[in-house]
Formats: sequence, structure tokens, C-alpha cells
Amino acid sequence: MSFLTPFFLLGLGAIAVPVLVHLIQREKKRVVEFPSLMFVRRIPYQSVRRRRIRHWALLMLRAAAIILIVLAFARPFMRQGAVAAAAAGGAREIVIALDQSASMGYGDHWARATDAARGVVRGMGANDRATLVLFAKNAEENMRATADRSRLEGAINAAKVTSGATRFGPALKLAESILSRSPIKRREAVLISDFQRSGWSGSEEVRFPEGTKVSTVSVASPNTANLSVPSVSFARASFSGQERITVTAGLSNKGDEAVKDVPVTLTIDGHEIQTEKASVAPHASGSVSFTQFTLTGPNVRGTIHAGTDLLPADNNFHFVLTPSAPVSLVVVDSGASPTSSLFLSKALSIGSTPAFQLEQTTAARMTPAAFDKRSVVILNDTTFPPAAGGGALRRFVERGGGLLVAAGDHTTWPQGDADLLPGRLGATVDRVSGRSGSLGYLDYSHPVFEVFKAPRSGDFSAAHVFRYRALQTAPGDRVLARFDDGAIAAAEKKIGGGRVIVWTSTLDDSWTDIGVKPIFLPLVHQVVRYLAQYEQPASWFTVGQVLDLTARAKSKTDRIVVTPSSERISQSSLGEGTEGLLELGEQGVYEIRTPGPASGRPEAIAVNLDPAESDLSAVDPSELVAAVTGHATQSAVQPDQAQEMTREESERRQSLWWYLLLSGIGLLAVETLISNHLSRKEKFL
Amino acid sequence: MQEHAIPGARFVDPKILARIGNLELLARSVVEGFINGLHRAPYFGASIDFAEHRGYVAGDDIRRVDWRLYARTDRFYVKQYEADTNTNMSLLLDVSRSMQFASRGIPKLEYACFVGACLAYLSQKQRDRVGLISFDNDIVSLVPPSAKHFNVVLQTLDRSKAQRPGNLAIPLNKMAEHFKRRGLLVLISDFYEEPDTILEAIKPLKFLGNDLIVFHVLDPAEIDFGYEDASSFEDLETGEQIPVVPESLVKEYRQMIQAHIGALTHKFSDHRIDYTVVNTAEPLDRALFSYLSSRERMMRVR
Repeated sequence: MSFLTPFFLLGLGAIAVPVLVHLIQREKKRVVEFPSLMFVRRIPYQSVRRRRIRHWALLMLRAAAIILIVLAFARPFMRQGAVAAAAAGGAREIVIALDQSASMGYGDHWARATDAARGVVRGMGANDRATLVLFAKNAEENMRATADRSRLEGAINAAKVTSGATRFGPALKLAESILSRSPIKRREAVLISDFQRSGWSGSEEVRFPEGTKVSTVSVASPNTANLSVPSVSFARASFSGQERITVTAGLSNKGDEAVKDVPVTLTIDGHEIQTEKASVAPHASGSVSFTQFTLTGPNVRGTIHAGTDLLPADNNFHFVLTPSAPVSLVVVDSGASPTSSLFLSKALSIGSTPAFQLEQTTAARMTPAAFDKRSVVILNDTTFPPAAGGGALRRFVERGGGLLVAAGDHTTWPQGDADLLPGRLGATVDRVSGRSGSLGYLDYSHPVFEVFKAPRSGDFSAAHVFRYRALQTAPGDRVLARFDDGAIAAAEKKIGGGRVIVWTSTLDDSWTDIGVKPIFLPLVHQVVRYLAQYEQPASWFTVGQVLDLTARAKSKTDRIVVTPSSERISQSSLGEGTEGLLELGEQGVYEIRTPGPASGRPEAIAVNLDPAESDLSAVDPSELVAAVTGHATQSAVQPDQAQEMTREESERRQSLWWYLLLSGIGLLAVETLISNHLSRKEKFL
Repeated sequence: MQEHAIPGARFVDPKILARIGNLELLARSVVEGFINGLHRAPYFGASIDFAEHRGYVAGDDIRRVDWRLYARTDRFYVKQYEADTNTNMSLLLDVSRSMQFASRGIPKLEYACFVGACLAYLSQKQRDRVGLISFDNDIVSLVPPSAKHFNVVLQTLDRSKAQRPGNLAIPLNKMAEHFKRRGLLVLISDFYEEPDTILEAIKPLKFLGNDLIVFHVLDPAEIDFGYEDASSFEDLETGEQIPVVPESLVKEYRQMIQAHIGALTHKFSDHRIDYTVVNTAEPLDRALFSYLSSRERMMRVR
């Protein structure tokens, strides 16, 4: 130990003061001369003990207080830390990357991780600096490079397990960035995690500078048992004008032992609806279906809870259900054949997600009111309806409506509205002779055909096309499908907020047999959904997703978001540039409230853990270290020249004087209390 | 402060003397003197007090023949008168260190000097010879009795300082050898010794037939021990210090000092020694006046 101002140590002589107070000063002060003590001597009296030190504890307290205060003024500091750092190769720049993803909530993983982090902090030399990086899916620099161990430990103590998924890439990149910026030569990164395999893809492209020491602390448990609810599916059915839902919960057992008869509970709006027993084999998945229930209104909150284990977070799965709104559409045909819209209407009567509200009419009987509150208009091999003239159809499309034109013999199109179509219809092409036509090209990147992209997801080649109308598209129109002869089978044009698709053949059995092919129904549903711009409301989101609130409710400008931890965020506080964007960082149900009188249930958003967090299988930390350092084993750290701190710097960083002074004042306060107590007790001494 | 021509003249305070000036300090016993005075002499002499008749012998002054008796008895008788004489008045002043004590106001030694000076003044006024012996554990100063030594006595009183510890026996024994003639001895001390020891020390003085008057000078603090704070008490004689909590021993102390005074009173009374306790808190004139008055009354009774 050294002292910055050792002259103050002369003040240690002040220790004699309490001794004098006890022995000398107090006696001298009260000496009374008396002619003779011959009578006093005869009186037996025990007060001679005044000459002795009676209260050793009090004396020790006073002396200790003076010593502490004098030492505080002498500004002590420890040289050991600096010397040790110098002996070991100088100061270090340390980055402590602490995993706070949801999987760290397994058992005692988090406690062990924070213990390890505190151990790293306590092992720091006087010259070492450390940065605390907390990471899950993203990484943040929680505590900037500092040598103040108490602050670092405080930050570690304040850190909590989040609901985020594990991603090592951002944390390692941040650590690499911090270390590369540091002027200190000895650099060290300590990664404390459960090293979930799902968090490391191997393509993170992080490479620490040569000489950087990367050490790992794995808190992974060797044999983990974890049952999780990774997903929930809903089967909707309409009954008596109400929607009935069948919930099926997926279960995943990531443990080495089978899970038997675990209770799986469905809770709707806080009420337990049903509990089922489930058994899942090790490293396998299962499902539990619950009894149908009626969906009474929007934003119905549900939760699936399955069993209990050491990672309780993934045993719950939250969802929010809202009755699906039917897509309203009108099918206009020529009325020439009663079966012209048969296939179409049958196909659209089957849909449940969404349901289709179909109205069928003829061109002659169509009124301008038919466009009102309709999402899609299908002109099925018909002449241009008179009611659609005068710009009515154009306005409908521009407002966001969808228009499907199935071109056939009866199809006519006025010149005035020619630009509504994606191209210009030409003559009828006959493929009756010889080999009939078929669909040869589909644009799988288009939302209509995207679902058919995967193999065995729909056989379009089975449909035969005997006639079709030639279509000559204009630049800007998108061709969605072509026949085997290269002619356009379907094309799309966007006008305003709406969409127009032309199918160059019919949708009955007159020109093609597609109506009787399995592909017909999903194709029609996809087309109508696309034209109606229908989006199934998500029943849940995953932690880490960002939600665009403005897109969800354009009219609601003022919103208050209540997080699952009851934190209230007003939209204006989301920050400039992030207006309306909400990062879903917590597992649970978010509420979006609008100011003013409550009108029904607030909008709710269910957020669940990333299913990958449930997989606790760990990657070998050495594999990760090798990937980021380029060495299979850790390279020896090159000792750099020690960066000896100045005495003033050492003293300032350690600030021992502060503790000494506080202790001294504390002792004086205790001494005051004790001496006051003794004074009252020994009034006559 | 008033300046005095004679050092020590301050002890002869006119205010005090105005109170006691008309009193007399008379020797209780017969004393031997040279000149006529107030005291009874062991001899017959010229005086107005008739003593007895005796037969005329040759050589007697015929002027002393009682002619009236001759007329009745036809025998010559000579009238004899009691002789009045002066005497030696010696002040024996204790100047031991305990006499310098003063809890408030005047130290005991100074008070004793006042007492001695006043008595010396009275004696000198009665044409007695006055002397002074101061002592502590030995004789410190000696002023032989003389009619002219009043001023010397005052000067010696003025120079008296309490410096050494005291002891009665040694100096008083020496004094006893010194006194060759009966006289009046006034002993002023604080008597911090056992009563028996004190009496043993005083007896030799008494053997000579001296008339002994004892003044026991005490400070009020010595009598009532009116201390409050716990303190270390230092013995002025020995320098010894003892921690004392007055509250815890004041009662016992008062009992002991009163017992001490009582014992001295009893023992001095047995030996026909006038013993007076003088409290330095009391005005000196009152103390002296009360003593001299009572002594005069006692003299008349005898």
C-alpha cells in the first residue's frame, strides 16, 4: 500500500489524544487542592479506578476513528493491482458478453452466468478495463469500458433474462468492434452463455484481431429436459353465423426422456377451458386438440400451458383470435348459361379463412350499388356491364377493389375503359384440334402462385385449355401465367389501390376443364384473396419482431401500448423515425389502447418466444472460438509493455480514502452514542 | 489598595479594632511582668486592690501601716496590695502549607495573621510584651516578646508564607524549652493531626504555667466540604492526589471534621485551654469580639 499524501500520516500522533483524555487530561483538569486529605483517606472509596482506562472499547473506537480519518487524508492506494497487471503483461481491455436470451432462464443458468461475469470483474487488475455487452437476438453495450468494478458488478446485478432469441453474431461483432477500437494492446473477450446451437449458424463472419484472447464460460447443462409449445393452429368453422374455433397445440419435447401424461391447458380470456393429457416421445413432437369453442368477439386472448419444467417461459403459448371477416364479392356473368358461374360459386362457397360472401348477378341486372362494400368483382365471360360504365368500375378499382376478368366468348370491353385491363384482348385461339393447351409457365414469385411453388403443391399441367382469348399486354402489365404455346394465360395490372387480373379463358367447363381439377379451388381462393387484399390477422408474433402500428390501424393516430410487463408506451415516445413502430421484446400479450372512452376490447397482440429457444442443445464453445479467432486453440497472448498507471491515477480509481473516511465518521458516531450512554450511566464517576 | 507605612499594618484593620478596641486580652492565670499592667502578678505590689494585712516588721515602709487597725488593735499591721503586672504575649502561628488554602476569599494564613495582629495590638495596648513564633514542621521565625516588637511582629506576619508541610510536636517542644517565663500563648493553627497528638504536642507549653489560647482556623470548605464535581483532590501538605466524588463522601466527611473539632474541644477544655474554631468565612471582628467577650465573662466568673 502506498500513500499519495503521506505527510498526513503525522496526524496519527493524534491517537494520543484519546489516551490523554482517558488518563491525563481529564485528571489534570479537575485537580482540587485541599489542605489535608486525612479525613478523605479514611473513607473507603473505589473511585481510584479513574486512574485506569476503564473503557477500552471506547478508547479503541476513538483511536480507530482517528487512524481511519488520518489514513483517508493520506490518500492510500494499492500498488499490488498495478504491479500484478504489469507482471502479467499490462492492462487488459476486456469485453464480457453475457447471454440474456430466454433460454438462460433454464434452471440456474442465469445465476451461474452472472456469477461467472462477476468472477471476471473481480479478476480484473487495477489497470484493466471492461465493457459489459448484454445480448440476445441483438447486442447492446450495457456498460462502457471502465475500470470501476463496482459499476460493472452493479450492471451485472441489474441485468435480467429477456425473452429474446440467442444470436451470437451481433454480440461477437460488437465485442470485436470494441476491442479493435481500444488503445490497449491486451484484448480479451469473455463469452458467457449456454451456447445454444440455434444461436450460431457458422456464417456470422466475425473475426477477432490477431492476439485477441477469446474465452468462453458455458453454463449449459448436459442433460436438459424441456417441453415447449412451439405453435398453435386453428381450425375455423362457421356455425349459425358464428365462428367456431378448434385449437390444436403443438408440443415439442427436446429432452432425452419421454414426457408422459403432461397436462396441457387451454385458457381463453383468463378462463381455463379444457385440460388434456399428452405424452411426447424424447426429441419428438406431438399435438393436442381441444374442443371447439365459439369465438364471440374480436381480440379473444388465449394461452396454451403445457407442463412444468426448468424453462417455464416456453411452456406457455399466447395467441389472440379475431373472427375472420368474410370477403364480399359479386360474380357477374352473361346469364346465357346457368352453369357459367357454377364452378366458381361452388369453389367460393367452401372457403372459411376467409369465408366468401358471394353474390351472383348478370351484367344487365347489375346496378352501380353492386360495387358498394364489395371487395372483388368478377366479370365471368360477360359483356361489360352498363352499370360499370361511366367510370364506376374504374373508381371501384382505384379505391382498392379487385377485378377478375375471365375472358370468353361474351367478353367485351369498351374502348373508354381499355386501360383498366392488363393488355388488350384479342381474338379467340382454338386449341381443340390436336393437343389441347395447358399452363406452361407460372410466376411463382407472385402471391397468387407462391403457395404452389413447392413440389406437389398443385398440378396445373393437368388442366386442359381448349380455347382462350389472345391478350396483348402493355409494358408495365405483369404476366402471371402462360400457356404451353407461350400465350398469356393470366396478367395483372395495378390501378390506384386496386388490382385487375385477366384470365384469358373461362372458369366453367366450356373452354377448359380446370374447373374440375383439384387445383381450381385453391387457385380461385388465392386469386380472390389477392384481389381482395385479404390478410389473415396474425394470431401471434415472435419476440423480436417489429410491428408497424400505423399499418394496422391507419385512423388511430394516438395510441398507448401496454407491454406484458405493464409498461405504458405512448406512440410519440417511440422516437423520431420509429413513429408507429413497436419492437415486440417481451413474451406475453401487448395491448394497444386508444385514448378516450373505451369502445370494446383493446386490440391485443400475442408475442411468443422464438421456438428455437426451446432447443437447448449446445454448440461446442471451442468450435465457436475457433471460428472467430481462426485458431483451433487459443493463441498465446503476446505480453505487451505494461502500462503503469500514475500514482494519482491509481489512487483516483481505487478511491480507498472515501471508504476510510466514511468508516471513520461512522466509528465516531458509534463512539458518540456509546460515550453518551456511558455518561448517563456513570453520572457520578 | 491602601498603602501602609509598616509592612503588616494591614492586619491591624481599624474596622476590626473599632469593634474590639474596648476589650482586653487578659491572662487568665497569674503572669510575671516588669511593669504595672492588667494582669495579676505573683507578687504584692502597688495597686488599688487590697490583698491582706501582715504584721509590721522592721524595714517596712511606715507609710503602709494601717493606722486605723493600729487604733483598734494597738498593733502595727501593714496593708498589702495585689500587684498588677504586664506579661509576655506570644503568637504561635502555624505556617504549614495547609494554611495557604482558601476555597474562596481570604486564605487561612492571612486570616490567622489578622487574628494574631489584632490580639498583638490589644496586648501591646495593654503594655504587654508581644512576640511571635511561626512554625511549620520546625520553627520558621522567632520574634522574642518585647514591648517594642509590635512592629516587628507585624512585619514578620507580613512575610509569613506557607511553604512546607507542618508538624506540631517538634516545633512546640522547641518552644517549650524557649519560654522561661509564664505568659500568654496564642496558638493559631488548622490542627490537621490526631487530637491526642495535638494535645501531646501542646502539653509542654502548658507545663510552664502559660495561659494557652488556641485558635483553630478552618476554611468553610473544610467544614462543609461543599464540592460538587468529581475531582482529584491534592493534599497541600503531602502533594498526594486522590480521586474524590464529593457527593458520595460529604456526609461522612462532615461527621469526621465535626468529630475532630468535638474531640479537640473536649480535650482542650479538660486542660483549661481556650479553644476557638474560627471560620474564615466569618467576619474577623465578629469572631474576635465573640471570643474576647466570652473570655471576659469567664474571667469575671472566676
